[in-house]
Order: sequence, then structure tokens, then C-alpha cells
Amino acid sequence: MVSPILLIAVPLGLAFAVLLVGFISRKLVKYVPVLAMAFNLVVSLLLLPRALTEPIIVRTGSWGPPFSIHLVAGPLGLLLASLVALIGLMVAVYGTDYIREGATRMYHVLYILLLTGATGIVLTGDIFNLFVFFEILCISSYALVAYRGDKAGIESAAKYLIQGAIGSSLALIGIGLLYGMFGTLSMADIARNISSVSPLTVFASMAFLVTGFGVEAAIFPLNAWLPDAHSSAPSSISAILSGIAIKAGIYTVARVLFTLYGAESVLLFVAILGLVTLLIGEMSAFSQNNIKRLLAYSSIGQVGLIVFALGMASVTGVTGALFLIVSHCLAKSVLFLSAGYMIHRTGSMEISSLDGMGQRMPLSSLCFTVGAFSLIGLPPFIGFAGKFTVIQAAVEQAGSFFTVLMAIALVGTVIEGAYFFRIVQRLYFKPQSQGSPGETKGRQEAPVSALIPIVVLAVMIVATGVYPKLLSMVLKPAATDLLNKADYIRHVLGG
Amino acid sequence: MPTEVILIAAFGGAGLVYAAGRFSAALRNVLVVAVSVLLIGLVALSYGQARENTYYLGFLGLDLVLRHDALSWFFALCVSVVGAASLVFSLGYIGRSGNVNFYYFCMLLVTAAMLGIVLSGDLLSLFIFWEIMSWSAYLLISHKRGRALQAAMKYIVMSLIGSCAMLLGVLALCNAYGTLTLSKLAEAMGSADGGFLLFVLVTFGIGFGVKAAMVPLHTWLPDAHSEAPSPFSAVLSGVLIKMGIYGFILVMYAVVGLKLVLGLGTGWLNFHSVLCWLAAVTIVIPTFVAMLQTDAKRLLAWSSIGQIGYIVLGLAFGTTLGVAGATFHTLNHAFFKAVLFLSVGVVEYKTGGVRDLNQLGGLARRMPVTFACALIGGLGLIGVPLTGGFVSKWLIYKTLIAEGHPFLALAALIGTWGAILYIYKLLHNVFLGQLPERYAQMERPALSMTLPLVVLGAAVVFMGVLPGIPLRAVGAIVTSLGVGSFAATAGGFGPELGPLNTVNICFAAVALLILVTVVLRLAAKARRVPQTDTYAAGAFVPTGKYHHTVGFYEPLERMVKPYLRDRIDALYTWTAEVGRGLFDRIRRIYTGDVRNYVMYIVGLLALLIFVQLVWKMW
Repeated sequence: MVSPILLIAVPLGLAFAVLLVGFISRKLVKYVPVLAMAFNLVVSLLLLPRALTEPIIVRTGSWGPPFSIHLVAGPLGLLLASLVALIGLMVAVYGTDYIREGATRMYHVLYILLLTGATGIVLTGDIFNLFVFFEILCISSYALVAYRGDKAGIESAAKYLIQGAIGSSLALIGIGLLYGMFGTLSMADIARNISSVSPLTVFASMAFLVTGFGVEAAIFPLNAWLPDAHSSAPSSISAILSGIAIKAGIYTVARVLFTLYGAESVLLFVAILGLVTLLIGEMSAFSQNNIKRLLAYSSIGQVGLIVFALGMASVTGVTGALFLIVSHCLAKSVLFLSAGYMIHRTGSMEISSLDGMGQRMPLSSLCFTVGAFSLIGLPPFIGFAGKFTVIQAAVEQAGSFFTVLMAIALVGTVIEGAYFFRIVQRLYFKPQSQGSPGETKGRQEAPVSALIPIVVLAVMIVATGVYPKLLSMVLKPAATDLLNKADYIRHVLGG
Repeated sequence: MPTEVILIAAFGGAGLVYAAGRFSAALRNVLVVAVSVLLIGLVALSYGQARENTYYLGFLGLDLVLRHDALSWFFALCVSVVGAASLVFSLGYIGRSGNVNFYYFCMLLVTAAMLGIVLSGDLLSLFIFWEIMSWSAYLLISHKRGRALQAAMKYIVMSLIGSCAMLLGVLALCNAYGTLTLSKLAEAMGSADGGFLLFVLVTFGIGFGVKAAMVPLHTWLPDAHSEAPSPFSAVLSGVLIKMGIYGFILVMYAVVGLKLVLGLGTGWLNFHSVLCWLAAVTIVIPTFVAMLQTDAKRLLAWSSIGQIGYIVLGLAFGTTLGVAGATFHTLNHAFFKAVLFLSVGVVEYKTGGVRDLNQLGGLARRMPVTFACALIGGLGLIGVPLTGGFVSKWLIYKTLIAEGHPFLALAALIGTWGAILYIYKLLHNVFLGQLPERYAQMERPALSMTLPLVVLGAAVVFMGVLPGIPLRAVGAIVTSLGVGSFAATAGGFGPELGPLNTVNICFAAVALLILVTVVLRLAAKARRVPQTDTYAAGAFVPTGKYHHTVGFYEPLERMVKPYLRDRIDALYTWTAEVGRGLFDRIRRIYTGDVRNYVMYIVGLLALLIFVQLVWKMW
């Protein structure tokens, strides 16, 4: 009987098994993450149909909720877990050739731990357990950002560590306040009792939790660590951070706001915060000359749009946010992974060094273009489905306030289009700059282990773009899972 | 024959051509011609069908529908014919330069997307195909590199702004009526309230206006059309901007309906009169700018903007003759603009890329067929009788004068007068006058380049002599849009629409021609004079130092130029520069100092608690 707890236990075990395998053979070490994530992907996809009707509750230690640490594998949790597994698998395959120097065993251990943390966050039903997995995610990512060991990497990792630690401490204070007020750590139990305490006291804990988890979710003004961290990390880790770590943060903030507190009226503030994040992210991305910093700021922009969509608190809005999460995961991973080898070939992260890549690395450039077009929201890619649903949600809201906000958000889309189209032009229509360090004639495509994940993800972007029904079957139940607080409590605590 | 077959053939053809090109260039060229002829054939075969079928159930909760009626057929024929002409022309033009497979793939993709637009039965399909058309056109405009890159960026950013506006409009409609199928929307729109209607029309107007290059959204066109490869310029000017026109017709007539549009607004300031005046401005100003251009393709690009003004004027006017004239002018302009751009393309190809009017001249002697076709195209654009342009412009003038709008009619007449001037400038500076030494040994252009020219030129003349045949299709469209009925015989119109019989005019012209030829033959012998023997009031004219085409309209230029600084383009560029400066300053929020960042984190926390204390959010 397949249980969701395998999704956490097996990768955790394999993480430490990496060290053992490393003693036997150095060459096999890099395949362990691939194995772990493939297992996770298969198991979560197997569990998904069952979870669409009713969440799977797993108890540990044979006590029921609210006394035990329990897992709540609902449609949203398993959707995000499969996404984590998919991206993790793809980047693990990429990493088999990309990570060659340095302490590679440590890289693989930390990599699996990061993904375990992310999976644990989305599957757990207990707030302190969530914090523990959150910390596993964060600490692994601090170390992985500094993996290269160069000055920029260490500086970025140190800044990320400081901000992340402050965020985690604030979150811990929030959890402590909740525990003090309610005497329980189960999210469903807290949610049930939330209305029995005076609003201001509870609000303080919510403020702490939102700010604390919001650091990882990259909401403005808490996201200042992101550009440095994502640009200094190795490209595979940038993909994971942009694709997964941020999403885990957003999930946590959303779960806290919607399920734990049921804070419908705060959501307008959240939507405006999201809009500000979007605009500042896209505007900062526009002026960048460094491709990875540009992609990092673009991630901030997308997070802003996702939070804006979440702030609309309707089924369409949350469905749109989930569409955007999936589309951003796929597209940003493709972008970072293809840019990784392009940077490796030219030795420079400057955008001007990408000139002429369309001839030198045609397949990578094509997938890069597909990812870029999807992110802007052009049909027939998946990004269009996401933007369409979000605009639909905005127009559906009563009154025209949200329509005006959406028009402002579309300005962000235009700015995003401008800088991505500029890069695509450079790839295909600018001749290779003379005298650049990696200048050679002819094709120098990325190795097969890098091409497989890039092409698979690009094909998925196109496939889900043409058949969004594949996704919306899962996204609608996931959206109701997030929004419907009473059902969540009922499923977990029974009756 | 189901409508999907056309689209499958078009998109499939694009992919097939790209795949074939990887193996063999000859196979690819054959396939290109085959696919384009096949598309014309399929479209022609589907004449007279009126159907609507769902081809995709449940895309994001909406059904996607394809629709085929008189309007679709008309525009689809336009797209496929001009597309085929450009593709055949490309065989000679592109040759082996640059990434040829990619070029053909994008050309076919643009054509396929445009066919998708005109065959869409619901607004979501229309939007999807619209976007595919936009980004594939962007890839094609960039094809020549260099200055084309900036032109393409300007195009795609403006197009993106238009698309975002359009998407807002589409979703507002979806939210209000629950469906995006055109037929169902048309039924439901009868009860729409004015404010909502205005919002929808304005958002769609921005979206379609950018593509159709109406003033003030036209600034991308001169750069994009002049820097694109010539066959694609023909497609751009010929059909891509007509997609904006198609959108206007669709939303204003098919969806919203004429009565609602005409009733929208108070007194003097209403939607359709504002649109008419915008169209009038679009006719007048670009015509003057075109006269002053020295780059052949830029001249034609500005001319396109002017002619679009005619079409929008006819459409916005809302009478039977207006809509008929506008629709027919769409077809005419597509053909003669394609002829003109392709002729300039031949010249550009043969001279190695020279488009500067000051340097060309006398090429009629080296490429007579090209000259003849360019002449026909130019005459059509001016609106000389016996070409199709005359009939469509006649219809528009007639309705403007009959309904009593002298200033709009004056604007249209200024447009034609300006067209005469700039067409003559183009034809004279490229084909007439002295032949420069370096072009004296130029070879004849290849058949693949002249064949499309001849075919399109013949079509222009055919539509001028026997306008009734295309007018029958136009009549079907006008009736289906509910703007009144319109009947035309093969040779013109009957007395109820104001008599016009082009067949009689044709016979009269031929008779006159025969008479003149006979008189000249029987008259005194001709004396040959060298070309440099011109009237110079007795002054000495040094040969080789005096070129007739340089500074062609200099007195006019001196008069008009101070008034024609492109202020709108300057405004947009200034906005972009201000934006860029603003973005750079905003980026500095991320100062790089981690102490600031920690301050931001604590600051947000404090802000949240402060907001709760004061405003009690929760």
C-alpha cells in the first residue's frame, strides 16, 4: 500500500545513502538523486488520482490528529510534490554532467535534502513540522548557493543566510505565539479554534508567520536575497531555487493565510503587495546585463503575479495562481538550465556574450526561446493559460477595481516581453561578438545529459499549453483544497 | 470540406517545409510552392459555404469554434493569394542567404496564423492565432539583422501592448456573457449598456489599431516594413495590417452591430465620428510624410498607413457604400501594395540592397516587366479608372459626399492627390530618368520574381475592368453584416447606386488608345533625341553631373517639413527612455547591503502590525 510518507522517507534515506555509495564508487554517486526523484515522481503521480476526491491523512506513531504529526496529502500537496519531483528529477539528470568539480558528494546530499524539505513542506499538516522541513530546505539552499566557493557565491550565501535566519526566527516566534494561544500544533486544530481568540493577538502571530515565511517566498520587500543567491549559485541550483524553493515559500504563506487564519479581508493587501512585487521585479529585470540576475528578477516578477492572483481569493484566482506556479516552474527551469551551458561555453554571464548562440547551440536556444515565450504568456504555451485564468479572475471580481489592478499588472507583462524579446533577438539575430573568450566556429551543443531535461521540459510546456485540460483537472480540486477551510478541518479532524 | 482542413494544411505545411529543408533545398522549394498553391485551392474551393463548427472542446472552460462565411472567405483568399505570391517571390530573393529554412517556416507560420484568425469563430481562437501571428512576424522582421532588430523590437512591444488591451476586452466579454463564440455574442450584445460597450470597443480598438497602424498607434510600421525582407514587407503591408481591419469589422459589425455602434456617445462626440476623424488624420498626414521619403520602402510603408486610413474611414462611416468600398479597397490595396513592394524588392535584389531613391533611376530599360507591373500597381493605388482602386475609392467618395461630410471627403481627396505625387516620385526615381553607369549591364530578373508581379498586376487590372466579380463577394459580406444590401453587375453598378460602368470605360479607353496609335503612325516621322536634351532655359547642362531624381520634391519639402516632425514617435521614444531611467532607479532598492535588507524585513512586519492597529484589516 503506497503511502505518502514514502515521499519523504525514501529520499531522506537516500540522501544519507549517498555518502555510503560514495565510499563504494564515486561514479555512482550522481545517479542517486535521479533515483530518489524518479521514485518520488512515480509515487506522487500514483497517489494523485486518489487524493483528488479526498485528502490522504497519514498518522505517525499511531496517534490520530491533532496529537500526532500527521501528513495531509491533498490534491494541492500532491500536485506540488509531483512538481517538486519532476523538476528535481530533471535537474538531477542535468547535474550528472554539470557538477564536476568540488565536493560533489556533499552537493548531492544537500540536493536531495533540499527536495525532501520541499516535499515535506507541502505534505505536512502540522505547523511545527512544516517549520522543520522549511529549515531543512533553507539550510540546504544556503549551503548550495555557496557551492562554487567563489567570492560572489560566498557573499550571496552569507546574505541569504542572514536574511533567511531572521525570517525563520520570525516564523518560529509566530509558531510559538500560536502554540501558546492554542496549545496545539496541528494546523487543522488551530484553524478550528482560531475564531475563539481576540483578533489582535492572533494577528500578531499571523504577521510574524507571513513575514517569516515570506522571506523564502520572495515577496517584496523581503526578497532582496534572491537576485544575489540565484545568480551566484550553480545553474542547476538556480533552477531548483527559482522553481521549487520559492514555491514552497508561497505555499506556506498561502496555507497560513487561507487555511490557518481564513484571513479573507487581508487578501486585498496581499494582492497589492503582489502587484508591487511584480512591477519592481520586472522593472529591475529590464536594466540587467547579467543573464542570471535577469532571470532571478524575472522570478520575483512572476512571484508577484502569483501572489496577486492568490490575493483574489476566488476559485478562478487560485486556479490561475496554480497554473502560473506550474508554468513558472517549467519555464524558469528551462531558462536556467539552458543558460547554464551557454554560460559554461562562453565563460561569461553577460547578456552580450549570448550573441549568436542560436547557431552554436541551436537546441538549447530553441528551448530557451520556448521558455521565454511561455513566461511572457504567448499562446500556444502554458504561460498563456495561466495569464488567461488570472485575468479572468480579475475581471470576475465585483466592481472594476481589480480590472484596473490587472491592467497595471499587464504593464509588467509588457516590460517582461520587452527584455525577453531582446534576448531572443540576441540569440538568433546578432552575430557572435568578435574576440569573445569561447569563440569557435560551428556547433557546440550542450551534452546529452543536459539536453534531455531541457527538451523534456520544453515539450511539456508546449504540450500542456495545447492541452491545458491535463492540468486543470488537477488544479481545480487543488484550488478548492486551499480555499475551503471548513473542508480541510473536516477531512483532517473528522466529523 | 471541413474548415479545419485549411488550417491543418497551413500549419502542417509549415512544419513539413522546415523538415524538408533539412534534407534538400530543392525539395523544400517545391514544397513551398505546392503548399501555397494548395492553400489557394482549398480556400477557393470553400467558396459559398457558411458553417460553424467546434474543433476543441473545453480549452480552459471555453469551446473553440471555427467559422466560415463570406467575410472569412474574402479575407482568407486575400491572405492565401498574397502569401503565395510572396513565397514564390522568395524563391528567387532569399536564395541561400541567412537561415532559409527558418525563413520559410516563419512565412508559412504567419500565413497559417492569419488564416486561423479569419477562420476563427470565437474570440479566444482569434486571440491565440493573433498572438502566433505577432511573434512569428517579429521573428521574420528581425531576419535581416542590423537596423531590423530595433524595428522588430518596436513592433513587438507595441503589438504586446495591443494584445494585452485586447485580452482585457476578451475576458470582460467572457465574464459578462459567459461565452466567446461570435454568433452567441452577437445575439447577446443587443442588451449591452453603453459604458461597457465603450470599454470593449476601446480595448479592442487599441489592439486592432496597433496592428492596422492607425494614427496614433502607427509608429512601428515605417521601420518594420522597410527593414523586413521585401517579400515579407509585401505580406506585412498587404495582409498583416488587414488583420487589424478584419478585427474592426468583426467587432464593430459582426459582434456589436451597426446600430449600437452608431448610437454610442452623446451628440457630436461619439465613437464612430471620433473614429472617422482619426481615419481622416491617418489619410492626410502619412500621405504628406510619404511624399518626403527618400527610401523606397519607407515611402511605400507610409503609403500603407494612408491607405489604411481610407479603409477605416469607409468602415467607420457605417453606410452600405462605405463598408463595401472599404472591404473592396482591402483586397485592392493588398494586391497593389504587394506588387509595389515586390517590384521594389526586385530592384533591391538586383542592385545589391539599394533602396535610396536618390541613387536609382532609369531601371525601366533593364527590367521592363517589373516597371509595367509597378506602374499598374501604382495607378491602382492612385485610383485611376480601369484599376480596382478606382472602384473602391469611388464608392468611398460617393458615400462621403452623399451623406454630406465635406471635410472628410476633402481629406480623402487630399489623400489621393498626395498618392499621385508620391507614386510618381517612386516610379520616376526608380524606373524613369537616367540609368546610372553601374546598373547599365544589369540582367533581367528571374522568372520566380516576375511571375508573381505579373499575376498580381493582371488581377489589379481585371478587378478594374470587371469589378462586379469581386463585388459580388463584397456584396455578400455587406449583407451578412447587416449594413444593407449591395448589388453590382459584372461591369459596374446600376443606376440606384449611382451609375458606373467600367466595361464601357474600358472600351472607351481601348478605342482612344487605338485612335491615338493610328494618328501617331500616320503623322510625321518621330525624331530621336538623347535623354539629356532637356529644357534648361539655355543654360549648359553637364552630362553625368545632373541627376533628375535627387531632391525630387524639394520645394514642397521645404514648405512642409517643419510641420511633419514625427512627434508621436518622439513621444513613445521619450516614454521608453523615461521608463528605462525609472527602472534603473527602482533597481537600486536592492542596495547590496544586507543591513538594508534586514531593515526591509523588520519594516514589513512593523507595517503589517501598524496597518492592523490603525485600519483593523482583519
